[in-house]
Amino acid sequence: MKRHLAIIALCSTLAASAQQPGKKPVYRDAATHDQIVRIVKVASQHNPMENLLTSEGEDPSIVNQPTDIISSSDIISFNGLTTLVPKRAILQTPANFQDRINNHQPGNRIVNWVDFMTRNRGWITSVEVTREQAEGHAPIARELADQLAKSRNLIVAAYQAGPISVLPLKEPVLSESDTPATAPEP
Amino acid sequence: MKHTFIRALLVCYLLVTASAQNPGDGYVNFIRQVQLAEGGIGTVWNMQVPPDGQVFSPLAINPYGARFEVHTVLEDSLVGFLLDSKYVASYIPVAEVMIYSEDPHNIIPRTRADRPFNVQITTNGLRNGVDDPEPSKAVKILHHVQAYGAGSDGTGINRTQATLLNQGFINSNGEQTLTYAITQVSGADRAKVRGEERFSVFSIADYQAPESQLDAQFIQIWPVADGTISGITTGETIRFAAPAVTFAVNDVYPEARVYAQIYEGNSALGTEGYIIPGSARIYNESIPQTYLEVVEGWDRVITGDGIWTMELLTSTPFGIDRLAHVTFNVDRTITVNGTVTTIE
Repeated sequence: MKRHLAIIALCSTLAASAQQPGKKPVYRDAATHDQIVRIVKVASQHNPMENLLTSEGEDPSIVNQPTDIISSSDIISFNGLTTLVPKRAILQTPANFQDRINNHQPGNRIVNWVDFMTRNRGWITSVEVTREQAEGHAPIARELADQLAKSRNLIVAAYQAGPISVLPLKEPVLSESDTPATAPEP
Repeated sequence: MKHTFIRALLVCYLLVTASAQNPGDGYVNFIRQVQLAEGGIGTVWNMQVPPDGQVFSPLAINPYGARFEVHTVLEDSLVGFLLDSKYVASYIPVAEVMIYSEDPHNIIPRTRADRPFNVQITTNGLRNGVDDPEPSKAVKILHHVQAYGAGSDGTGINRTQATLLNQGFINSNGEQTLTYAITQVSGADRAKVRGEERFSVFSIADYQAPESQLDAQFIQIWPVADGTISGITTGETIRFAAPAVTFAVNDVYPEARVYAQIYEGNSALGTEGYIIPGSARIYNESIPQTYLEVVEGWDRVITGDGIWTMELLTSTPFGIDRLAHVTFNVDRTITVNGTVTTIE
């Protein structure tokens, strides 16, 4: 207990010694290695996390890291600008636009999707999809699919104006009741 | 097949300003909602959000949860940095980590190698029922430290290289404050360490998702400044014009002021003197600076003969630190020794 009080007193002293508005500033000689080592020695006797329940195991911040945004994106570049969209967000790339995908040129300025689209509406079409379509639980409507097939533009899937990846359509899993009845054997 | 989506829209919001870079600073921000699915990553959506404020996600979260990520990319090169990520799911608790130091700078918390700081962890949504799923009953706290290289500002560091110092569980809702008297970033010279301490809250793993980050915050630790005065030495006597003096300062704390002052008498810490013209500088930088300043003609603030002290000081959120000082004599009175004789 005394140890904890000593730490609290030390911290209070340190905090109180900091500059406060309206008060005469505290002057001190710049701290040296030896002075800091003395504070470290006192502080090391008390682990601020010692009151928490003990935990062990692998470091989840290493084993479960979000992926790097560059490697998990498709990169669209044109006319000095570049933007990033999630992989699988590009639904259709005409052959004459292949060199604008994942071909970032040094010197290009990175911009967000809205800024990029504003300047490139002539050759990019953004198509709104539903969450079910994006997650592969529903197909793209036939009419829209036909329309896209005829388009000569780069087609990017979007949800609420933001580019979104579209997963392959998942095959429905049939339950027993959905299983078509087999014909009785003669 | 009936999809097992959560029908009620789970609204969640991101505090974008906490860690994102401001547009125009040379960065472009991207905020992503990554839907977790059986076996890993599902749909990935780049949200369109204003540069600051809060926004509700209209994309409903499925039972595996979703991870919200804030990335920033350098505007002039294709280099990206993950600034923050939060995992959200139906029964996963919510956590917030805040770090406070004596420095009121509120974009990235920061302090100096000799100063204390506090970590406040707030948890909500923790349950304790017998039938409640395990991930709803506790969260895991991690404390990492990571030193920056000499002269580095930490840009682009690989945070998987950080050292995990401590970990523990929290199983009750509310605030917990952890007080650190001083940094645990180590180095051969403790006054010169630079690095960061990171506090993260992770969910507990279950069959739906691995341990995932609920919140994290880091505080940057910057070295203590040091400095020298050269061109004049302690005990020296100035009889005529004062010599040019050079002020050299290393590791000026971000946004600190550096100046030299002079006052009559022997060295007395805390004395307010005359600021030497041409010596004052303010460093509006977010990382420590090093500089050299040569000042001439400074003796016009000397008002008389006697003992004088010159000090090199830096004013920071922690107070005013004296980096160097010299005490010297001023003797400009011309004494003529002569005799008058007459001859008859």
